[in-house]
Amino acid sequence: MRRKTKAKLKKGLSVVYCSLIYLFLFLPIFVIAANSFNATTTKPYLTWKGFSLMWYGKLFDNTTLLQSFGNTMAIAFASTAISVIIGTLAAVGMYKYKFKGKSVIDALLYIPVVIPEIVLGISLLTLFSNVNIPRGMITLILAHATFSIPFVVFNIRARLSGYDNSIEEASMDLGASRISTFFNITLPVLAPGIFGGGVLAFTLSIDDVIISYFTNGQTKTFPLKVMESIKSGVSPDINALSVLILLGTMAVVFITQSGILNKKDRRN
Amino acid sequence: MKKIIALLLSSVMALSFTACGGGTAGEGGSESAAAPTGETLNVFVWTEYVPQSVVDKFTEETGIKVNLSTYSSNEDMLAKVKAESDGAFDIIQPSDYMVEQCINQGIIQEIDLSKIPNFSNIGDAYKNPSYDPGNKYSVPYLGGVGGIAVNRAQITDDIDSYADLFDPKYEGQLVVLDDFRAVIGIAAKSLGYDFNETDPEKLAEIKEQVLKLKNNIKLYDSDSPKSALISGECNLAFCWSAEIALANAENPDVEIVFPEEGPYLFFDNWCITSGSQHVDAAHKFIDYMSRPDVMQEVLAEFPYLCANTAAVEAMGEEYSANPAKNPPADVIAKGSYVKNLDTDTIATYDEIWTELKK
Amino acid sequence: MTKHNFRSNTLPSVIMVGPVVLWLVFFIAIPLLYVAVMSFCSIDESYNIVFRFTTVNYKRLCDINYVQIYGQSILIAVLTTIVCILLAYPFSFLIARTTSKSKAFLYMLVIIPFWTNSLIRIYGWRTFLGTSGWLNMLLMKIGLVDSPVNMLFKRGTTVLGMVYCLFPYMVLPLYTAIEKLDKSLLEASSDLGAKGPQTFFRVILPLTSSGIFSGSIMVFIPTLGYFFVSDILGGGNSDVIGNLIERQFQSGNNWPLGAALSIILIVITLLLVKLYQKCGGDMESLGV
Repeated sequence: MRRKTKAKLKKGLSVVYCSLIYLFLFLPIFVIAANSFNATTTKPYLTWKGFSLMWYGKLFDNTTLLQSFGNTMAIAFASTAISVIIGTLAAVGMYKYKFKGKSVIDALLYIPVVIPEIVLGISLLTLFSNVNIPRGMITLILAHATFSIPFVVFNIRARLSGYDNSIEEASMDLGASRISTFFNITLPVLAPGIFGGGVLAFTLSIDDVIISYFTNGQTKTFPLKVMESIKSGVSPDINALSVLILLGTMAVVFITQSGILNKKDRRN
Repeated sequence: MKKIIALLLSSVMALSFTACGGGTAGEGGSESAAAPTGETLNVFVWTEYVPQSVVDKFTEETGIKVNLSTYSSNEDMLAKVKAESDGAFDIIQPSDYMVEQCINQGIIQEIDLSKIPNFSNIGDAYKNPSYDPGNKYSVPYLGGVGGIAVNRAQITDDIDSYADLFDPKYEGQLVVLDDFRAVIGIAAKSLGYDFNETDPEKLAEIKEQVLKLKNNIKLYDSDSPKSALISGECNLAFCWSAEIALANAENPDVEIVFPEEGPYLFFDNWCITSGSQHVDAAHKFIDYMSRPDVMQEVLAEFPYLCANTAAVEAMGEEYSANPAKNPPADVIAKGSYVKNLDTDTIATYDEIWTELKK
Repeated sequence: MTKHNFRSNTLPSVIMVGPVVLWLVFFIAIPLLYVAVMSFCSIDESYNIVFRFTTVNYKRLCDINYVQIYGQSILIAVLTTIVCILLAYPFSFLIARTTSKSKAFLYMLVIIPFWTNSLIRIYGWRTFLGTSGWLNMLLMKIGLVDSPVNMLFKRGTTVLGMVYCLFPYMVLPLYTAIEKLDKSLLEASSDLGAKGPQTFFRVILPLTSSGIFSGSIMVFIPTLGYFFVSDILGGGNSDVIGNLIERQFQSGNNWPLGAALSIILIVITLLLVKLYQKCGGDMESLGV
């Protein structure tokens, strides 16, 4: 009897504790969402002036804001593509072949992972400014690919640790060329790792503030647009866009997840 | 565990495809709208100084697209312009002393006033400034004073000088400009020294004075100090006069006080960078920004001291009789501008500032 | 045979590894070396970089004002890491050991907030904690305080923002480590008569220490550089090393000094990573 109440109490406490943590994590989201419905039109947009959906309409007239979001997407796609291609080749190459200097490559790959972003940001700034590449979309893509490549490599490497080289040998013994073996045998096996790495690169790129801040020139990404608007008070259309992005992401996640789960269930 | 992450991540990826469809479509749309003219001006201005709506109208009228970026201090602007390659910015908006510095550093080019017919709207008092004789490089825009804002509902004491801001009883109540020359300058003034003091012994005293502010300052904000005043975060401010006017419009308890030592003055100007690839368009933009109707719209949103006499006349009493919007001539007469100092003195200023902010 | 293999492998290995080597050299090695070189340069009257060897920047780094900011920075990072561990450990434990079907969902709930831009969430905290924010309104409504409490623009607010930003980086490795715990070990421990705390300190904690280590690395190091958190929530009163660097590359107009400050960050990072490896930390677990 006593043990039962004790267990119940324990369970209750853990539920309360976890709820508090979730509250902590979601609190700013609630604040953002609430303010996206604020009817205020005067800076700094903090006084509550009643409920309104007008900012969700105004958002679509704000071309600079929409453009910054478009830029963010374009940069994320381009840098992800680059990092996936280079990262996949590198991960497979480093796994398959033995050569000198591997540990140096490894060390260089770890730098963007552990070093504070600001250091990478300013070092890329000094590079771009020294060789006089105008800052903009191109430099943003190059910078984002730079911090993404290691994550792609490591993700694929995790997948490779259980990889059996003999399938490739078999393929080549059967007369397939190196290239067709790579595309038909190696890539399909690594697909989940490549995909995971790519998505990680994509999400890192979308939310990057610090490195973009130093390498953007006049091009504004969505996070940089937010940074600029914080200076004078974030207008509710930015909140509205953030809410829409979050809802969109969540919707897709839940749909795809339930899809995957259903498939699993069926298989069982 | 890894599977969960992979699962989550793959769904995010799927989303991005859908989201991107929308995103890039929007981008393509806006680009094609501007495509016919093909010209884009990169304009670099102070935060909260040039309304986006005014700029949009310029694009409507001329077809020239404008890419507006903002900065928070003259030094920020200078750093960014120098770091970027030539032509990254076409138009900048330096203050008085910074115009002089930009001329000396060769980063701005001469302006052809014959291409700016609306220059005639600028009042004589604002033409031919000491930092740019004959307006060879700059066209005046807006200016003002670094005034004191007091929330009268919270603070009823007599406050009439910069020196009052240093009183320890205002602990944690003050928002000040995030600008080392302005803050050190008023500390000097509060001791009766020059706004641009260079004497090392006096600077040592000034340092002590500046450090008294440390406990009083709650927030450094050059961009929108009015926010802290409106929300009640701070009850005292040292900031741009128009910010006080705007705070007053939202919260009538916030009043402007002109310091009896004579205020810190600033005046900002339009300049064209020497690397600009769109010199004609840049002149068009500056001319547009000197039109009385355009400036009226600017003043409605950012009520600063305005060099455009024609616009000021058209604004009427509500603007010209409000001291926060249109500071009286006798206040201006007592004020001082920031001057360029030698590197050693600047280094001392920098040290004082670092010690204040650490 | 080996010879043949070697020859035929040279070309493919160059094709596969070549691009990444070029990329790393151009965008990581050269820029970092350039920063190191720049840290020994100075600037002239018009803020241009003068490439003549000088140690003037490193002398300035030893200035007492700067040293105090490093101290403050490290203090903020230590506090952030400790708070993260204290909050995340029990949380990860509960989530990882839950038997309910909603485990994946609970874990996902941690990630969801991070799909919203980090800056705007930090700004959300600023709105929430402000003098006229929700928290103060609530406190005044229930009569806990008469006038608004000043919560913003203090060191504590900066730490809060840092904890908020970096929390998942602590949860992630802890969750992995705790999930790996063998249930039978815990049972064995209690069968042998160990009490709850004993099991925790003798068995659970040592087995999950790898998670704590890698979580701490992933929280501590970024904190030193996250200048935007201290900008938005610290109001300029609780700067970290990142703010110093940012200032030198922006309004300070002194890139060489900024470069030297970056070298400090690099050195701190290297030392911590070495320490991490000494403690048996696995580099791979930082990456994925």
